[in-house]
Amino acid sequence: MIDVFALVLLIGGCGFMFAGTVGLLRLPDVYCRLHAQTKADNLGLLLICAALALLSESLLAASLLLLIWLLGLVASTVSAHLIARHARAAERVDRGKGR
Amino acid sequence: MIGTLAVDLLLVSILIGLAWQVVRGRVLFRAIVFFVAFGLIMAMIWGRLGVPDLALAEAAIGAGLTGALMLGAFRRLVEIDARQAVSGGLRPSPRLSLLLSLLAGLLVAVLGLAGLELRGGSGEAGRAALDSLHLTGLGNPVSAVLLLFRGLDTVFEMLVLLGAFLGARHVAERDRRSGAAIASHRLPMVGALQMTVVPLALVVALHLLRAGANDPGGAFQAGAVLAAGGVLLTLTGRVVPQAQAGLLTRFSLIFGTLMLAGSGIVPLIYGGVLMAPPGKTAIYAIEAAMMVSIGVTLSLLFSASAGLRAVRS
Repeated sequence: MIDVFALVLLIGGCGFMFAGTVGLLRLPDVYCRLHAQTKADNLGLLLICAALALLSESLLAASLLLLIWLLGLVASTVSAHLIARHARAAERVDRGKGR
Repeated sequence: MIGTLAVDLLLVSILIGLAWQVVRGRVLFRAIVFFVAFGLIMAMIWGRLGVPDLALAEAAIGAGLTGALMLGAFRRLVEIDARQAVSGGLRPSPRLSLLLSLLAGLLVAVLGLAGLELRGGSGEAGRAALDSLHLTGLGNPVSAVLLLFRGLDTVFEMLVLLGAFLGARHVAERDRRSGAAIASHRLPMVGALQMTVVPLALVVALHLLRAGANDPGGAFQAGAVLAAGGVLLTLTGRVVPQAQAGLLTRFSLIFGTLMLAGSGIVPLIYGGVLMAPPGKTAIYAIEAAMMVSIGVTLSLLFSASAGLRAVRS
């Protein structure tokens, strides 16, 4: 039963990861790409971590996996924020030149 | 069985594809990004081959710190020549990179073939190390080889690291970098990241140090993780590069080498043998000193400076 549940979570997680990657490759500009990548990947990572936690059947491993997910969350949030900030600043410089 | 084979084949083909992109990619910046990805896949492959010590070292040093150093060098390149920023950095010569990578590949092939040749007759060294592992009180054969059986090699490794740092310092001396932080810690999100990650890096480093005696880990991995914290502090401007090193910095650069070499020589005085530290506590002390030295050296290597000074917020 647990195995089936974990399998569903894993497949779901892979689906979100795949969607995030497709978004990263196909969407038109940097903001859309960041949006797709960070949102979908964080959810995908959560589902995969949850599946692995179920399979590990140990509280220690489960809490470590939770910590890994939280770290991934912090890292992707901050780097997406910094990339978007940089892109915005570059845009302003370009517009300034155009005038 | 077929599933694991498929995973291995997938990993190997990704690795080769990434290596090709690193060598043949036209844009320098992309080559750096591919190199970091290459390091991560390499770490996964080491993990699959059952060498977690190497996997940890590859992830922390090969992908993490080397990547940070290369990105730092790229930033410097853009500062020197602003045209490079627009194109993402053009390679000086694709032919040269191909030639160099072919030579490197040849070297790896020769070493690999030599390794295959060795396998038949001379596994004795490995077997002897495993047989006398119980005498050391350590559970991790890698740590036992690094600190006891081949301790002298490790002394020289530490000296190589120190030599590399001194060489880099000499180059950086003539060519002062602006040293501005890339993302200031005063940005709320960066501050939050730093407040989470730097203490965590410290905890992970101490854990790797403690675990190194019996499980995968040790001074090199712990030092690299410590240096990751140092890199983050430098990038966010919490510490600023200094032209002159303080006494404490100078001492921590050589602390590990001194402890390792000292503990190797001291037993000679009262009739012991070279490189035989007395007991497990001594080994922990040596590894802790090495972790500090490696962490400080790698952090300073990244900031291309003699010392670092904390900034009061």
